[in-house]
Amino acid sequence: MTSEDRIDQTLTGLGRDLPLPPPLSAEFEAEITQLRPAAPRQPRRQFSVVALLSLLYGGFLVVMTDLRPDIDDLPMLGVLTYSAVWLTSFLVITWLVLIPGRGRVMPNWRYAGVSAAIAVATFVAAGLLLPFGGPDSVTFAPTLDSLINGHKCLIWGTITSLVPIALGSLLLRGSVPVGSRWAGAGLGAAGGSLGGLMLHLHCPVAEPLHLGVIHGGVVLVASVIGAVLLPTASRH
Amino acid sequence: MERYCDGEAQAFRDLYALVAPRLLGYFLRMARERALAEDLLQVTFLKIHRARGAYIRGADPVPWMYAIAHRTFLDEMRKRKRAKVKLSSDGHDVPEQAAHISGKAASEVHEPSHDPELAKAALAALEKLPDKQREAVVLTKLNGKSIAEAAAISGTTPGAMKVRAHRGYAALRKALAALGVS
Repeated sequence: MTSEDRIDQTLTGLGRDLPLPPPLSAEFEAEITQLRPAAPRQPRRQFSVVALLSLLYGGFLVVMTDLRPDIDDLPMLGVLTYSAVWLTSFLVITWLVLIPGRGRVMPNWRYAGVSAAIAVATFVAAGLLLPFGGPDSVTFAPTLDSLINGHKCLIWGTITSLVPIALGSLLLRGSVPVGSRWAGAGLGAAGGSLGGLMLHLHCPVAEPLHLGVIHGGVVLVASVIGAVLLPTASRH
Repeated sequence: MERYCDGEAQAFRDLYALVAPRLLGYFLRMARERALAEDLLQVTFLKIHRARGAYIRGADPVPWMYAIAHRTFLDEMRKRKRAKVKLSSDGHDVPEQAAHISGKAASEVHEPSHDPELAKAALAALEKLPDKQREAVVLTKLNGKSIAEAAAISGTTPGAMKVRAHRGYAALRKALAALGVS
């Protein structure tokens, strides 16, 4: 038998020697005696709730702040395609954050984190490289002032993202003891995508810098908010 | 776990009897103090109890429980790092209690029956590993978790877990060789 085999065997043996656990404390025992049922998490139902309520909220904000004034002159295919991309990003990332793999309790925080990074990079790059607008869309010189003037879009986009982030954080309580920052970033990116969709339907600016840095930046800001909020909100 | 979520107290006791020894073994290897390991076990089960609504019917709860244990251990270590200096009533440093990895006093230690010398040396070498490498070795070698399971429990990637387990195991072999185990 090689020394590696001996070490392996010894370590496995040590793992098999299980210690005797202490009895439960009196308080805990009393709590168990009066145990109440707790409904287990139903991820698909939670996904439906988050998606539906967030979309209703986003729709309400679009109605409240009015549709973009240049919408009649925009190519309908473009409006629908960009909307579909934002919406798909919202739904897919929300799904990845809330729905664990088969037979698992914890969502896959790595997929959520990676999808957040991809969403941020994609929307910033798409805004800069593939700006969408029509003849009546607003354009201006890409200066620092004009960029700073876009802060209202950043605020409204972020406000839109707060509902999915808050709902998801509440529903994931206790589900992500590890990787919660990454899961939070994913949840934020999903909310940021909803914010981006709202801005796409509301903001008439077609300037690449505004679309990339501000509209795409909403996804980044929301991801940071999610990464900060979820670990605290989901902890028991 | 499902019966426990449905409010069956006996189901919790069965679950405790099944999982608590494994989690206590994990804590003993990680915390190196019996009293601390038992405290961490109680806190972990309290967290599991409070978070039982996060369970999903049909899912395997053990990796989730281990992840809660891992988080509990990390939180405790961070708390201890923040409170580094311990003073006695006369103002002098309190000497650290020497503890065997099993948490028992050195005189009470009964090594396992299989190759006791090697087991003793392995435990001593395991104690000296950095926390992350020790956890990787404990989860993959002692607790029999796969690399993917161990990564999910400790909130890292399988690649990083593989590296930690490999380095930990290599360091363990080196330490055992230095102790004359071949």
